[in-house]
Amino acid sequence: MRALRWAIAAALLIAVPWIVAAAVPGQQRYVLHVLIFTVLYGALALSYDLVVGHVGSLSLAHPAFFGIGAYTAALFATEARWPFAAALAAGIAMAGLVALVMGVPMFRLTEHSFAMGTLGFALVTQIVATNWVDFTRGPLCVTGIPKPQLGSFRIATLPAFYWLGLATVGLVGLLYHGLTTFRLGRAFHAVRDNEMLASAASIDPLKYRMIAFVIGGAVAGGVGTLYVSYVGVLCPGELAVSLSVNLLVMLFLGGVGSLRGVLVGAAAFTALPEILRMAPTWRMVIYGLLLLIIVIRAPDGLEGVIRRRSARWRRPSSSGA
Amino acid sequence: MTLMRRGTIGIAVGLLLLLGGECPGAQAQGGPPIKVGFSSAMTGPSAITGEGVKWAAQMLADEYNAKGGIMGRKIEVYFGDNAGTPGEAVSAVRRLVDVDKVDVIVGQTHSGACLGALPVVKELQVPMVIEACSNPKIRDLIGKNGNEWAFRVNPDDVMLASQFAKYMSQSTKTVSIFAQNDDFGRGAAAAYDAAFKKYGIKLVSTEFFDRGQADYRPILTRMKRANPEAVLLVMLASEGSVFMRQFREVGLTQKLYARGSMATVEFLHQVRDTHGIADGLVEATYWTPALDPAWEKQWLERWKVPVRVHGSLAAIAFRYALAPAIEQAIKKTGRADRKAIRDALETVDVPDTPVGRIRFDDTHQAFINMLLVEIKGGQLRILEKIAMQP
Amino acid sequence: MSDLLEQLVHGLTLGSLYAMVATGLALMFGVVRLVNFAHGEFYMLGGYAFWYAYAELGLPYPVAGLAAAAAMGVFGLAYERAVIRTILARTWHVQLIATLATSITLTNLAIIVFGTQPKEVPTTLSSAIADIGGVRMAWQRPLVLAAAVIIFAGLEWFVTRAKLGKAMRAMSQNREACAVVGVDVQHVALATFGISAALAGGAAALVSPLFNIFPDVGALLTLKAFAAVIVGGFGYVKGAIAAAFLIGLAESLAAGYISYAYKDAIAFVVMVLVLLVRPQGLFGRRIGI
Repeated sequence: MRALRWAIAAALLIAVPWIVAAAVPGQQRYVLHVLIFTVLYGALALSYDLVVGHVGSLSLAHPAFFGIGAYTAALFATEARWPFAAALAAGIAMAGLVALVMGVPMFRLTEHSFAMGTLGFALVTQIVATNWVDFTRGPLCVTGIPKPQLGSFRIATLPAFYWLGLATVGLVGLLYHGLTTFRLGRAFHAVRDNEMLASAASIDPLKYRMIAFVIGGAVAGGVGTLYVSYVGVLCPGELAVSLSVNLLVMLFLGGVGSLRGVLVGAAAFTALPEILRMAPTWRMVIYGLLLLIIVIRAPDGLEGVIRRRSARWRRPSSSGA
Repeated sequence: MTLMRRGTIGIAVGLLLLLGGECPGAQAQGGPPIKVGFSSAMTGPSAITGEGVKWAAQMLADEYNAKGGIMGRKIEVYFGDNAGTPGEAVSAVRRLVDVDKVDVIVGQTHSGACLGALPVVKELQVPMVIEACSNPKIRDLIGKNGNEWAFRVNPDDVMLASQFAKYMSQSTKTVSIFAQNDDFGRGAAAAYDAAFKKYGIKLVSTEFFDRGQADYRPILTRMKRANPEAVLLVMLASEGSVFMRQFREVGLTQKLYARGSMATVEFLHQVRDTHGIADGLVEATYWTPALDPAWEKQWLERWKVPVRVHGSLAAIAFRYALAPAIEQAIKKTGRADRKAIRDALETVDVPDTPVGRIRFDDTHQAFINMLLVEIKGGQLRILEKIAMQP
Repeated sequence: MSDLLEQLVHGLTLGSLYAMVATGLALMFGVVRLVNFAHGEFYMLGGYAFWYAYAELGLPYPVAGLAAAAAMGVFGLAYERAVIRTILARTWHVQLIATLATSITLTNLAIIVFGTQPKEVPTTLSSAIADIGGVRMAWQRPLVLAAAVIIFAGLEWFVTRAKLGKAMRAMSQNREACAVVGVDVQHVALATFGISAALAGGAAALVSPLFNIFPDVGALLTLKAFAAVIVGGFGYVKGAIAAAFLIGLAESLAAGYISYAYKDAIAFVVMVLVLLVRPQGLFGRRIGI
């Protein structure tokens, strides 16, 4: 029964380009573009949730990994003419490597210091991307990033990019699911919920935090690669700290620590500018207030609201069946 | 009449009014309105530029619609927010084209956004008139170089540097560059580095600053140490006024040259408490209020602040390039759709606008006049007007 | 040599700014164990309050400055009641994200209300140039340093002599004991926020004549002040002040001698280095403010 539901959902998701073409023929290109950003954001949000939601480390370094993956792939593709698969691998590897190197000292810091340390790292990464002009082109941007070529398939149309993005979020979702259930997931949660108890039970907090951090960072780098392949241009402004803010809104809006919640949050966040058709500055005010209210009143996000509702539903009535 | 009947008629009338109201100017003789999309940085660190563009667009729409539009067709403006980044520029352009259904886009102000938008306007086949993007790479990408849908009105520093350096070389042998750390500043610094070599000026040092970081003292101390004869500032008025105060605080007296928006009413307004703080500064630009005092006056009346440079740049692109092209398109073909406007832009030739001759070469670049504007006694003065050649 | 003096002058100005902002942050962390990500916005709003009082209302400089500090004090109290009180008992994750959200809201509201054009507020002292020891500087700079010293001295007197101040120090040392002894914990928390915000407002009145005010000015300032608080030992005010001056001087010297473009990275590099070598901060783990 569940497998059937998954199959139907998958089929619907794959059929989206045709559904969109039928539903809004005049705007289908724009809608597909928004959906491409949505699936990429979804994958990015999942990678972030590994760190924030499952090992409980409030890292603000994610924009740096996104950017490192993006720049690595972009430069290899434009300077060294590497094919897409190789550039993607390089982006993922470099981001993961930097996460590994930065993670060890970062995790020696606790709580606020960790957050500040990761924020500082993100800022310095952006500063370097902006000023190391000989290498990254700085504000003059890396241009001419080629479209992905997978074997004989050239991903150049909007539906093709959408399917690539869909496959990505699907893969990341599977990875996320695998990492956060079974023993590994329980170890993550042990570290998140009670670090002292976890280490007393010989679950090494540092080891599990690093696993989440490095995998999360590597995936972010991969998403960065796909993003720049889609846009074709990469400027240092894309590494701004505000990306962390957007990710936090997604996670908390949808539901930290939950696969469905995070994906819903990412979709809702990307759809928000379409729903909240107002001056962009007012929209930012709404984001801020939304995040504030959600984190105080409903930190489980939409997912928590749904769970509570359905739990109430399923509760057996006192009068008996 | 029964209630039902009245209700139905009421609904029908309401619908008609709604539909009629939906298309402002549909009742005008000329035809459906021409939709122009203005895309700039409405949010993000450069939001001040987007604001200027937005205000200018609103003024332009009112100005043209008061005259009955272009060839009787009203102008409808739509706005897109590219936040200064290429990714958002893609979103903004796609939205303007597919949702708002614009006929032409004016934008993107910032080079990263321009570069991101270029492939999209080509794919969607909508003309884009670039009003301020300064990355020299753009010329290698538009017109015959691969994108027939994009046009650029503003010059970049590769085009201006030679003349400006020549002017500077008449009285200066050593220069330091101080530029904002974005596409504009970096592009300018590179262009002048090359141009100075050509005219025998020694480039003593080049420094960059992030916009929004108002403490320039460390750099001014370095400049004091390097002791050039002159300084080339690549900055906008909002940073320039703070910079000049600290420049005088540290006691520097170098000759000042500028690119950006230093010799502007905006700047003079910011430093109105210290007259003469930047006297003698000479800026190479392509717009100054003296070219159209009415525009400056109108802006001040409407927005209560001195005219913003990015607004003026958008106005140049619209008034002297796009509007004539639209008029030409309607005259020749009776239509002002995307292709007609594109074709008109390719052949439009307006010999004497306040900014010079408007004509796009085969790389879709226009060559408006370069102006050397000086600040003297708290006033702006045009020193020279140099016609640019392809 | 005069070069070095020049950079030192600038470093002291920056240091005074960072120190005044960091003190507020350290107070809040010390007394109520809360990290206020929106603190830079106190400075930003204080700057606008000062601009309004001085440039728009035409009040004399000292009055305008005090008015800005007072206005921010009131804002701080309101902020504590509206936002902080609800998150005091929550985890630091919630606190960080809530205050971050507030920061975004305030910054964008400032854009809407005041516009994106930066405001400049030159004062007589910021335009009058002194020549001290061969270094030219606006008279405003020595004023900033002198005012900072007086404020810190006043704060020290406050936490050692005044009843409320002593309560604040006591709370930072042992909160439960305070409640037991009958200290009105909520009242003290409220006062802490008012004082911290007033400090930021005062800093804005002192420093903005030299620079300018715009909606995003608080962002980088928050982070550098945080760096100072962390380096100084979380919650230890004197440590935060010392660290803030250290960072201000390091930034100025690095900008002057190494690279101006990378100067903003300095604060974070210093912070990360100190944290790695001495995670408890330069001055060790101290109890209380």
